[in-house]
Amino acid sequence: MSNDEARNQRILELVREILEMDDDDVIELTHRMREDLGMDSLGSLELLSRLSEELRIDMEMEDAMAISTVADACAFVNRNYQEQHSAAATSS
Amino acid sequence: MQPPPAADDDEPHVFWSQVARFQASLDAGRIERGGTLDPALLGQAADLGLFAVSLPAQYGGLDLGLWGACRLVSKLAEADRAVATSVGLHAGLGSRAITRFGSEALKARYLPAMAEGRIVGSFAATEPGAGSDLMAARTTGVLQDGKIRIDGEKCYVTNGGFAKVFTVLVKTPGIGGRRSHCLVCVPRDAPGVHVGPEEHKMGIRASSTVTVRFDAVMLPLDHVLKPEGEGMAQAHEVLQWGRTLMSAGCVGTARTALAMTLEHVQQRTQFGRTLSRFEAVQAQVAAMAAELAAMESLVEATARGADRGEPIARRSLESKVFCSEGAFSICDRALQLHGALGFIEDTGVARLLRDCRVTRIFEGANDVLLLHHGTALVSARGPDAPPAGERSPAIRGPALAGAEHDLAERVASLRSTFGVRVIHQQLRLQAVARADIALRAVGCLLQAVTEQGAASRDVASLAAQLLARRAQDALAQGEHDAQLQPSAAAVFDALTDEGDAVRGSALRSADGRNPPLASDSGVAS
Repeated sequence: MSNDEARNQRILELVREILEMDDDDVIELTHRMREDLGMDSLGSLELLSRLSEELRIDMEMEDAMAISTVADACAFVNRNYQEQHSAAATSS
Repeated sequence: MQPPPAADDDEPHVFWSQVARFQASLDAGRIERGGTLDPALLGQAADLGLFAVSLPAQYGGLDLGLWGACRLVSKLAEADRAVATSVGLHAGLGSRAITRFGSEALKARYLPAMAEGRIVGSFAATEPGAGSDLMAARTTGVLQDGKIRIDGEKCYVTNGGFAKVFTVLVKTPGIGGRRSHCLVCVPRDAPGVHVGPEEHKMGIRASSTVTVRFDAVMLPLDHVLKPEGEGMAQAHEVLQWGRTLMSAGCVGTARTALAMTLEHVQQRTQFGRTLSRFEAVQAQVAAMAAELAAMESLVEATARGADRGEPIARRSLESKVFCSEGAFSICDRALQLHGALGFIEDTGVARLLRDCRVTRIFEGANDVLLLHHGTALVSARGPDAPPAGERSPAIRGPALAGAEHDLAERVASLRSTFGVRVIHQQLRLQAVARADIALRAVGCLLQAVTEQGAASRDVASLAAQLLARRAQDALAQGEHDAQLQPSAAAVFDALTDEGDAVRGSALRSADGRNPPLASDSGVAS
């Protein structure tokens, strides 16, 4: 499993946890956070905030608000992770 | 104080004069002592058309819109909050979803009887395990034999004791996706609907609040409101009406509290003068009037906006928070200014305070709504829309501009400092929400004054100064509390981790003595 895939897996776990979903509830990457999963803005920020702390990355509020689907969230988190950790590796 | 809003010219004057007579006939003390709303009283309200106020004319309604319903609820609340709550619930949450999302057949079946008051509506969303978090609802609606089968339990169902139709929020994994919800119109007489006993409440005691259980309730699919699977969005939309109507009730209660206070302070003498001659009393009464004027303006702007087809999600939240807290504050001041008399139930002041307390809790607890509002402020893209009242610079004064500037700076600072982690800055989010709501309320008041003329300029000017100060106080308090949070968390942890020690200390304080020492434990006695 690539690092991106591992992070995506963690995102799905957190979505499931925050929404208190049943074990047989399926989450697809194409699912819309609000319309399909019922995750409101507080839930979305809770998700990103926890990822921000776990992965030690900063995420801009304005960009975060553009997230619509689970795939958007995965791409957003992975992009921020790669940018910030590669920058940290370069500077060190 | 601003006078109650006058009826629009094209509205039925007969209706409003009947409302005034009905209002004058209400005896809040007797209604409360009765414990429930007398069916004869509800019948009288129905005969006068009070249950028709918000319903479409084609189904026998008066079609007076949200603003008409708000005026009715505020008038009723001036006399009795339980009656106002029941009529307002019917006009909003109890019928709005059917009006907005029901099929033509469903509307034709229920709305005429709802307009006549033969069927009173109710709304059932809250569950024992899920308060403000509607997504956590466990009541299910599943497709079975060409029908929808409903199982689950709803609590705090207003009007439930006598309502004949419930709009119920259910989780419907088989309709529109596994996480979807629907609103379902459930008649009381459907087999499997069990209505529990009335709750004993702190206030609005004569209003009906029950738990309703649904055991394998089977209903035709046309009872599911359209479009299916959009129940959560539909519930949030009708809640906007519910919150605005509840705010109108707060306005009515606050008007009565102010009127009673004005009468009292002009009659009661202390040290050879009436209370009204004391500076401290005047300041408090003026502050009550200023707060009430802002509440009235906010509710009117919200309701009229809805009737014009404008979105009111944000403004209805602002109204709900501002008016519920404003009414409680006004009633608390009223009680204080009545002195010991205010504590005596017969005066009715205590009832006002008790009746409006729940409005800070139901239809979205204010604490949660403030978090939502604060988050929306911090996550908004681009500059926020300027508050109303920009055209009243003479009344605005420098304090308001200063508060608006401080709020904008604080929001920007939270956004840049915390990014998405701001969600965990709850105290700061609530603070910016409180400040914003105060400034929005005064903005609506200034707008109204601009439109109405100079009659209310003094009260608007005072409100602008007081609410600007309140906004800045909220920001300062939020920052102060946030900085104290590590200490607060440590105290909380100590309280929860050392429960035995705490309980021991509570025992000591309960009877005024220390708990028995080991050497005292029964040996000597």
